[in-house]
Amino acid sequence: MTNGSAIQVRGLRKVFPGGVEAVSGVDFDVRPGEVFSLLGPNGAGKSTTIGMLTGTVAPTGGSARLAGFDVATEPLAARRISSVLFQDPVVDRPLTGRRNLEIHARLWGVPGREIDGRLEAIVDAFALAELVDRPVGTYSGGERRRLEIARALVSEPTVLFLDEPTVGLDPRIRLELLDVIVRLRDRSDMTILLTTHYLDEAERLSDRIAIMRAGRIVALGSSRDLIAGLGDPILELHVHGDPGAALASLGRAGIARADAFAVGSTLIVSARGRSAGEARAAIVAAGVEVLTAVERRTTLDDVYLWFTGDDLAEAA
Amino acid sequence: MATIATPAADRPESMRSIFAHVATLARRRSQLTVRTPRELFVPLLTPILFALVIAPALKQALHTSVAYESFIAVGTIGLLVPLNTMFAGLSVIVDREAGAQRELLAAPVRRPTLVLGNLAVAFAVTAFQIAALIVASVARGIHFDATAGGAAWFLAASALFTIGMYGAAETLASRVPKQEEYIARVPAIAIVPWFLGGSLFPIAALPIGLAWLARLLPITHALALMRYGLLGEVGGLRDIWGMTSAPMMAWLSLLVVTTFAAVLTAVSVRIFARSALR
Repeated sequence: MTNGSAIQVRGLRKVFPGGVEAVSGVDFDVRPGEVFSLLGPNGAGKSTTIGMLTGTVAPTGGSARLAGFDVATEPLAARRISSVLFQDPVVDRPLTGRRNLEIHARLWGVPGREIDGRLEAIVDAFALAELVDRPVGTYSGGERRRLEIARALVSEPTVLFLDEPTVGLDPRIRLELLDVIVRLRDRSDMTILLTTHYLDEAERLSDRIAIMRAGRIVALGSSRDLIAGLGDPILELHVHGDPGAALASLGRAGIARADAFAVGSTLIVSARGRSAGEARAAIVAAGVEVLTAVERRTTLDDVYLWFTGDDLAEAA
Repeated sequence: MATIATPAADRPESMRSIFAHVATLARRRSQLTVRTPRELFVPLLTPILFALVIAPALKQALHTSVAYESFIAVGTIGLLVPLNTMFAGLSVIVDREAGAQRELLAAPVRRPTLVLGNLAVAFAVTAFQIAALIVASVARGIHFDATAGGAAWFLAASALFTIGMYGAAETLASRVPKQEEYIARVPAIAIVPWFLGGSLFPIAALPIGLAWLARLLPITHALALMRYGLLGEVGGLRDIWGMTSAPMMAWLSLLVVTTFAAVLTAVSVRIFARSALR
């Protein structure tokens, strides 16, 4: 059963040889036409999840369906209605852009009489006319990325996977590509599953966001729901000294609860009616210096840090 | 909110659709191959050198007969096929490291078609090279004595040997992670068996242990069949089987080469499908 979902994932799990569990049994549904982001630090399991959904990574357990097609038992049908933009460049560099587009069209079963028309439309839509007859090896990083997105769309997929679509691109090209994805979202009924570790990207593009950490989904909802879950507003305190001791002092004063956390020397505490001044006083009383203390709106960054803070601290 | 249609079952692919996919993949591979002409011509250099320069020089220096040139000309096919198929296998690693292999894995095509698309091009390039070698040999005055039936034996042996060797190349490419490791193993697979397989001299001239080893090598059977077909020469088959009936020995060697091709192709498809998926 599809349950009306474009993507249905149940207990999906991947253990790589050597025992590394990259994805530890994730469950989620993506509605038709929805843009859904998997957000998380490097190594959280986002790309492995996409790999299992696109048939390039063999799942260890669980199940997944794309538009009702089981990716394990009906792999051809599942792959026929989906396309993927990989994190790394995956193109035939010696061939022209047009040939790369045409190969995709033929393998995805676009009828021969429609291929030229589809290619012309996609070339126009992505402003590739001046590039498309050159070997892809001569493209810049941004041009190649644009071609890869165009290629993924030639077959008019029901489900589109975008795995870190803007990683490694310079800021201007990144913003251009985000515009492309926004237009795509606004103009079509396509379901998009996006992975990223850029919070602004996830917030701007997504209807819902799942935050992954160490192979598990630790939070799922719209950005508004996720922010509301953490509490709004928030107190942000920058301390000079032991942040653990500072957090403990906030706890003793009844200001910090279990959802308070520290990233380096910065403390994030849900305000719940308490002021930044009260928090500062509690910390100073414990002998820790407070450099700044402000009350501000909760952002998706705070939610992300709350759920992945340890990972981020380790990565830093 | 958009909706999606109730899905139909994963319908079986028609043969036409499978052929269309193989054709698309083979066309892709051939376009990549012609952009690196060394893949077409480099494997041809050594066999041509052997057939056209070294064999006549040996004939003159060692006072061997004209037949020796013909013997060597066919023997060099046993070098040409492994070298060319090994070069073709290298492109599988390039595809994986810097090409579109993951895009192909995400495509709605059966995984064996990815191997078959590569095989089709390796086969065509090898056929071109064998034809070029034979034309060059004939132009150099080397004599072949093939009937229609003999040509069929030759074609069957060279085709099956090419398919089997490509299976070995694809398997190796799927098993080793880096081009450097692949290249390091090529001499052991492509060249050592060639020296033992009756390419430069009959296997009866080998020490008895090595002669028995040579009888187990597919290249020995392939070369004996090619010489049987192209030169009408049964010595190679007799050195392997020790029988009197040439057709019987030819059929037995053909069975060996066919088994080699079938097994290596099946193994290569299986290993590719397993190793390409993480």
